Amino acid sequence: MSAAFAYTLLRPEAPCPAGLKTWNGSDPAQRFAVYRNNVIVSLVDALADSFPVVQALVGEDFFRAMAAEFARGTPPRSPVLAWYGTGFADFVADFPPAAGLPYLADVARLEWLRVEAWHAADADPLPLAEMAARLADAAALPALRLTLHPSLRVLRSAHPVVSLWAAHQAEDVSAALGAVDFADAEAALVVRDGLDVDILRIEAGAAEFVDKLLRGAALGEAAQASGPFDLPATLGMLLRSGAIIEAAPARRIS
Amino acid sequence: MNKSITAASLAIAFGTAMTLAAAPAAAQDKMADKEKCYGVAMKGKNDCKAGAGTSCAGTSKIDYQGNAWSMVPKGTCEKTASPTSPTGHGQLKEFKEKKA
Repeated sequence: MSAAFAYTLLRPEAPCPAGLKTWNGSDPAQRFAVYRNNVIVSLVDALADSFPVVQALVGEDFFRAMAAEFARGTPPRSPVLAWYGTGFADFVADFPPAAGLPYLADVARLEWLRVEAWHAADADPLPLAEMAARLADAAALPALRLTLHPSLRVLRSAHPVVSLWAAHQAEDVSAALGAVDFADAEAALVVRDGLDVDILRIEAGAAEFVDKLLRGAALGEAAQASGPFDLPATLGMLLRSGAIIEAAPARRIS
Repeated sequence: MNKSITAASLAIAFGTAMTLAAAPAAAQDKMADKEKCYGVAMKGKNDCKAGAGTSCAGTSKIDYQGNAWSMVPKGTCEKTASPTSPTGHGQLKEFKEKKA
């Protein structure tokens, strides 16, 4: 019974499940249709809250139709509504009607990283004085391993994702969108500094570097294996946004 | 590839980075050209953008509540009138409302 009920909830064309009763004798099929509609609408609303820039880029009608399609195929697996939307970016990438907007999936990826950063754990940055002490032994620097803030994420895109996102935070959105060069490839760094999530445009090489640090590479190794980027500026940005939690010599786990 | 990364160049890079980090916050390269403005939102119209399932948006109880904020274009906050604010305008930090 509950499996059939759940199945029918996500399929607007499926008949009302058998055996439903209403307290006032009204038509159960009609009551069920209201309930079924509310389920999808609430999920679509949740996606609209988490992906406002995607919605602005395609318009509300397109977005709600696309989100409803996603919701029917991917109902929530957790009762935490804030986490509803994992996998939405991949769905957008494969959604044929959106194929004309090749940047849309990456904008969705960026918005999802922002949601993740919002809800990531708190962590206190390493005070600058302690950081300075860790840097005293210059010879040990290449083997230094940085622990980064739990909210920190990077995204490399073949599209101007940061500019597109930023344009929608501007006062005059259409003017800001007009200034976006759609041929630009951009990389983003997402980090929560206090209660604010920052989305910063960084060089592709810097994104590679931070990605390697996140995967546990030591400083020297991460810097050497990344494409060209401004190392002092990147380290300065990490320090300034409170993203460095700990810096300790690499320890081999065997 | 950055083959030239050595202990010495890392030390120099970190030295510069520490100077950058100590620079005033105003020099920060934030994307948004907006600022958080306290005390200018009408009841129930405050912003709170943290994605789905977070429900602080639209929860302010009174007009011009001192600890409720809205995103406004940068530079305009402290020019926006707020009858509850001791300065008479919106503020960049939350404040205790004065009696109207």
